[in-house]
Amino acid sequence: MQLKSRHYAASDTAEAMELCYAKGWTDGFPVVPPTEERIGAMLAAAGLDPDQQVAFIENRQVSVTAEKIAINTVLAGCKPEYMPVIVAAVEALADPLYGYHGPATSTGGSAVFMLVNGPIARELDMNCGDNLFGPGWRANATIGRAVRLIMRNTIGTLPGVLDRSSLGHAGKYTFCIAENEAESPWPPLHVERGFKREQNAVTIMAALAPHQFSNGLSSTPEGVLTTACANMRICAGTARQPQYVLVFAGEHMAIMAKAGWTRDDVERYCFEHTKISVAELKRINLKDGAVGPEDETAMQSLVQTPQDFLVIAAGGRAGVQSAYIPGWGSKNGSQSVTKEIRRP
Amino acid sequence: MTIQIFDPTIEAKGRHIAYAPRPKSLAGLRIGLVDNSKHNSDQLLLRIAGLLERDYGAKAHVMRRKRSAGVPPSPEIIDEFKAGCDIVVAGVGD
Repeated sequence: MQLKSRHYAASDTAEAMELCYAKGWTDGFPVVPPTEERIGAMLAAAGLDPDQQVAFIENRQVSVTAEKIAINTVLAGCKPEYMPVIVAAVEALADPLYGYHGPATSTGGSAVFMLVNGPIARELDMNCGDNLFGPGWRANATIGRAVRLIMRNTIGTLPGVLDRSSLGHAGKYTFCIAENEAESPWPPLHVERGFKREQNAVTIMAALAPHQFSNGLSSTPEGVLTTACANMRICAGTARQPQYVLVFAGEHMAIMAKAGWTRDDVERYCFEHTKISVAELKRINLKDGAVGPEDETAMQSLVQTPQDFLVIAAGGRAGVQSAYIPGWGSKNGSQSVTKEIRRP
Repeated sequence: MTIQIFDPTIEAKGRHIAYAPRPKSLAGLRIGLVDNSKHNSDQLLLRIAGLLERDYGAKAHVMRRKRSAGVPPSPEIIDEFKAGCDIVVAGVGD
């Protein structure tokens, strides 16, 4: 294995970690020094040669090689077996439908939401349950972090320079979960998108922060979704028509399952019940122009199609919380992409 | 014992871009306006076109809207501008 990247000497691990800070390679947290041995283990786990191009980011004219992915993956603290997930996510970043440039640079401040499906999620001990978006699981914490470090270090998406997020959010450190495939009332999302259940896949979406909603009063899907839709009707994505991830946790998920609601049922219910009048959009300054009489009855949907709600089951078994995640900007500028995770 | 750590960044590679020659005068030229779809971008571009026509003698303008600010103009827009415009005004901002 011959690595082509420049390298620097440090007298010990502590000095190497400080050198990574000095070079501007971290997200603020300490990183694992990327030594040849660790980089080699990453490449071997993905079955890739160092100079192999994994993705080409058209807008940046940047070739992302396996070597650079492996270096960042070491920095992030990943185990070698995580590497194929990160490779697939980087392939997704370069997909024209994702449209890297917009979400990466926008003042809108999106993170890369990542959903891992398939047996690999269990094998890597990825969290799909309690404290879903919180800390505690190495795979969730470091896989998402690795993708952000690749964006920062290799693609050049530096905060305040190319990344002009006004606010950003905590998901920009890591935003990676698995789906609760074992208990979900629905087929896994990657199966919905054409993959086999036994295949592994990662779905990415340029996303704002998750918004939690609570409903402990209802025992029907309509009741739970009424709360969800009321929360979504006027939210970060209103009038822009991005995609949304809808995450149903334990008790809400059980309500859907008991009532036999399909994913399609949920999508269509939410599509119909998040519509908002053009008059209201104008009154709250999300659409310009004066309110005309016809605006009171003209309705605009939150998303372009019902399938633009990505409905998944995940989160803790206890509790009456679920969440929605607005996508960045508009679906016209960026949309979710699913890629197979390939292992040698 | 020293350890060697490897650089996760890439070195920028020089790339030659062939720029079109700047016209000596705008007199009689046709202007293409790339509306990036941001709020008021069309108003700003029309003001610019008005100034170029009034003060610099440009002949006419045509404006086309991108589907999103973060993506390039569609091939159809580029073809239309190549066929019907002499200069193009484009920009991105909030």
